[in-house]
Amino acid sequence: MRTYVLRRLLGAIPLLFGASLLIFLVFALTPGDFIDGNINLTPQRAAELKALYGLDRPLWARYLGWLSQLLHGDLGFSLQHQIPVSTLLGQYLWSSFLLALVSLLLYWTLSLAVGVLAAVRPYSWFDRVVTLLVFAAMSFPVFFLCLLLIKWFAVDLGWLPVGGMISIGSNATGWDYALDVARHMVLPVLTLVMLQAGGLTRYVRASMLDALAMDCVRTARAKGLPERVVILRHALRNALLPLIALLGFELPGLFAGAIVTEKIFNWPGVGHIHIDTLAARDYPVLMSFTLLLAVLTIVGNLLADVLSALADPRIRLR
Amino acid sequence: MPTHSPFLRRLLAAAVAAGVLAASAQADVIAATNPSAIPAQAKARKDTIVGAISAPQGIFNPYLFSNGWDENVTEVIFGRLVGLDAQGKLRAEQAESWQVSKDGLQYTLKLRKGLKFSDGSPFTADDVAFTLTFLHDPAYDGGTDISLAKIKGGDAYKAGKASSVEGIKVLNPQTIQITVTEPGATTLQLIGGPVLSRAWYGRGYQPGKLDDLRQYSSKPLGAGPYIYDKFVPGQEVRFHANPYYFAGKPAVPNFIYRITSDATKLQLFQTGETDLEGFSINADNIEQLKALGFANLNIYNSSDYSLIEFNHNKPALKDVRVRQALTYALDRKKLVDVVYQGYGSVATLPLSPVSWAYDTKGVNPYNFDPAKAAALLDQAGWKLGSDGIREKGGQKLVVTLLATKSLFNDALIPIAKENFKRVGVELRPEVSDFNALLAKRKAGNFDLATFRTSGLNDPHDGVARFRSTENEVGYKNAQVDKLINAGNGTLDIGKRKAIYHQLYQVLANDAPLILLANRKLLYVNSSRIGNYQPDVFNGIFGSLPKLKIQY
Repeated sequence: MRTYVLRRLLGAIPLLFGASLLIFLVFALTPGDFIDGNINLTPQRAAELKALYGLDRPLWARYLGWLSQLLHGDLGFSLQHQIPVSTLLGQYLWSSFLLALVSLLLYWTLSLAVGVLAAVRPYSWFDRVVTLLVFAAMSFPVFFLCLLLIKWFAVDLGWLPVGGMISIGSNATGWDYALDVARHMVLPVLTLVMLQAGGLTRYVRASMLDALAMDCVRTARAKGLPERVVILRHALRNALLPLIALLGFELPGLFAGAIVTEKIFNWPGVGHIHIDTLAARDYPVLMSFTLLLAVLTIVGNLLADVLSALADPRIRLR
Repeated sequence: MPTHSPFLRRLLAAAVAAGVLAASAQADVIAATNPSAIPAQAKARKDTIVGAISAPQGIFNPYLFSNGWDENVTEVIFGRLVGLDAQGKLRAEQAESWQVSKDGLQYTLKLRKGLKFSDGSPFTADDVAFTLTFLHDPAYDGGTDISLAKIKGGDAYKAGKASSVEGIKVLNPQTIQITVTEPGATTLQLIGGPVLSRAWYGRGYQPGKLDDLRQYSSKPLGAGPYIYDKFVPGQEVRFHANPYYFAGKPAVPNFIYRITSDATKLQLFQTGETDLEGFSINADNIEQLKALGFANLNIYNSSDYSLIEFNHNKPALKDVRVRQALTYALDRKKLVDVVYQGYGSVATLPLSPVSWAYDTKGVNPYNFDPAKAAALLDQAGWKLGSDGIREKGGQKLVVTLLATKSLFNDALIPIAKENFKRVGVELRPEVSDFNALLAKRKAGNFDLATFRTSGLNDPHDGVARFRSTENEVGYKNAQVDKLINAGNGTLDIGKRKAIYHQLYQVLANDAPLILLANRKLLYVNSSRIGNYQPDVFNGIFGSLPKLKIQY
């Protein structure tokens, strides 16, 4: 097991370098740089500024400079925000994480429960209703769903705030603060759960149907075990194996920021600044954040593999 | 509005801070019909006004910010020495008066008596000198280009050959004298901007090293109507009234800039979360806002204009007849009607209709005329080919158009394509984001490029792009250069008006670009807010100190 993990870790290193090169090239080769976007600069001033920011250096020098900075643990300095990238991400990352984590917990719980119930009685009225709802929720355009929820719950009923993370001018701390944030979270979380739960429910249902058809399940039933035990202990455990890989993929999603949902609900998440920095060509932020997501994707995969190996000895042998 | 700091003023032109408004003599106000409909949430806010802003980034230094929204925040905190009135004429603010020598080379600014920064410390001519010297720092990377003011000795200081800027002289604590090497109509706005306190910003500052000064971008100290409290990233910026403000402490104790976005700004305003907001102008928005009952709608001319630029380095476009033909061929009236639904007009001058210099008499308006366009192209030697596209010397008349993705361009591209086709010109649009557009334009890889200018405070700002020393697309006309320099070389409005009128006629005949549209802007205030008189040159800042809560 230890060599397995070690092998996977070593394998991730060239992957990271490859990712960093790719990320650098994608952004550096996009037409226009941080200075080009300013329509009002005289050519002389633009040249002065490019030199100040080092944008006049050749590509390889810029890449190596960035890489050595990274290896020293420095994510760089945002051109646009004029603060260290780590500070900037810190301001927005955790609100995205909070939103994503709460939604994740909710839609995994919901999907598991509903998916299992639907699989146990396939093609029953319950299964059919679930399928209908799931497809309805999945096929809603995000922005429309957001606006609909805002119209109903914030404007017409006035129960919940239209957007933001805290009330205007609020100086609340402690529990009051937590309650305030929770109130503001209800609608965005509801949106994310509705959007994500659909696909996952289908996965769980399919995986569970496969598991229920396994020989071990038939054996368990033949042994005369109660149906509850058969389903929860024998079938569900087997059904969860393929879902572990899926859970691994969720890791980068926890930090990536739900761009559309965050934007519409004015949630101070990292999705906003990602888009803004792309428009402004704020390279240090763009590259560091994208690299962070790449690292999380690799780590997520690694974790999924290790967890699968722990849960299923057959994988370890390979 | 800091007129001199051009960085991303185009974002301002996109006009998002509620209150960055356009004003004109024809300002159109649709008053609230049912003020009692003010939402309870707004009514409960007795001591706070909430304005709207789009995306401040937290660089609250008037000379270091990189987007127009941070600029809006700094306006509230800092104020200016010299401002503009609703017609764009200079107005005394923190400076009580100024004198300009006859040759336009010496500016003497007198500060108001007893001026103080918001911490109560004195605000003197020495602080002005510190600010202007700082802008000449070789490491200065902000958006203000002080070199345009041509202050004497500025280049020497920047190059490290002098320990101070020769042309900046403090005569006494209340008076500063600036000597320049070239007269400029926009110089006073440039040197009369926001002032940084030497005591606060200069503490650890070493010329050539900005790091120390930069850290105060999150702890700004100014002399504007409100004092900065707190920035909650992605949420809001909070302020409280400045007791030392030169015109007296504002009546409303607190002001908040709330961050809003297009998707939900109407809902936020409707539920009373914001008091002031700016909207895209169209019939839908106006209907919905009117239906609220408690909204005052202010409709103003903006100070920018949209345009299609010609690449004058392309042989076909060097011919003035081709440029004129393409201008005649485009149905701009239709474009304006489609996009602005009655709230915009075809642009005839590179200037907003708001400005004191606006005068279209004798200027060719280039009304839509495909027949004339075809005749001009014939004259220029471009003959219709068998495929309906004109050609000359084996070359087809095919032009590329750089454009960004926007509602405006969604209408412009099909209209232009069809219009040009009709006169035998093929249009190939290339849509990208703004940054990429400017990069392609800089590389010279295009025939036509379309975009909108930033907000223009002075007539000079609207024409500076045609000066051969500043033009990036190969346009040269000695007469135009001379007139632009003359217009910028005097402060006498009467003389300038005559010069610009002549310039506009010359430019129209030479057709260096296709002027597209002047648009209007829609700004809304809750009827609970009184004394709100925004204008395009000052935005919310003009009336912010005087605002009051009526309900």
